[in-house]
Amino acid sequence: MKYMLLMSGAKSAFHDYANWTKEDLQANMAFMRAFSKELKDAGVYVSSEGLAFPDQAKLVRAGAHGEPMTDGVFPESKEFLAGFWIVDVESAEQAHNIAARLSGAPGPGGTRGAMPVEVRRLVERPAEQPR
Amino acid sequence: MKFILMMSGARTGVDQYRAWSPSDRDKHSAHLTRLNQELKESGEFVATQPLAGPDEATIVRAGKDGAPITDGVFPETKEFLLGYWIVDVENAQRACEIAARLSAGPGPGGIPTNMPIEVRQIMTGRGDELIAEAAKPERRRPL
Repeated sequence: MKYMLLMSGAKSAFHDYANWTKEDLQANMAFMRAFSKELKDAGVYVSSEGLAFPDQAKLVRAGAHGEPMTDGVFPESKEFLAGFWIVDVESAEQAHNIAARLSGAPGPGGTRGAMPVEVRRLVERPAEQPR
Repeated sequence: MKFILMMSGARTGVDQYRAWSPSDRDKHSAHLTRLNQELKESGEFVATQPLAGPDEATIVRAGKDGAPITDGVFPETKEFLLGYWIVDVENAQRACEIAARLSAGPGPGGIPTNMPIEVRQIMTGRGDELIAEAAKPERRRPL
């Protein structure tokens, strides 16, 4: 079963993150890389992506003629996706254990974090036939 | 440049979608399949993935001992990711054009849903750039 682990935060959380020391940022980034490697070694890694800061985030709707109508104004409370991992595991419990590891990623001063990680099952479809 | 196009909705939106007629759903699916095909032909397609409904969503935090603490209660207004597309395109404008195509997907009675699609650039493998970006003085000013 595939699960997606989503790390999200309001703009203020991204701002806090940007105010970490370079060492803390590097330690956090190193944890993320080691975490991905650990998942690969365990054979559960499918993919992961990191997103840019939300300042450039756009909300797009189709206009009357299908043209893009873009908007960059979001409510203060809006949660922005920062990054995600997809894992292929045996059970939801295993996905939760992996999510807890991610949640504990080091924060300022190397302290263990407790950031919320949203865990979502993916809808799996038959593989598309190559053309 | 890679972008992720995200379709999200609150539970009420998901319930509305579940109430669509099979024929409306088929038309919407056909629209998406056609778009995926076009993106594959133009070489811009990277991935697409639907997510299971928000009723199964869980929030996990590390407890003091690192063990998972799970929670399944969300605010009524919480927007859940329902599905995403990843595209590799020339620029942000092109990503927005594709997002508009997603938004124009037919809803009940063939009327476009006009669903908002969030467009975000992907920075995978560019952690150093992200750190450099974080260190910019304008980011360190108080909010």
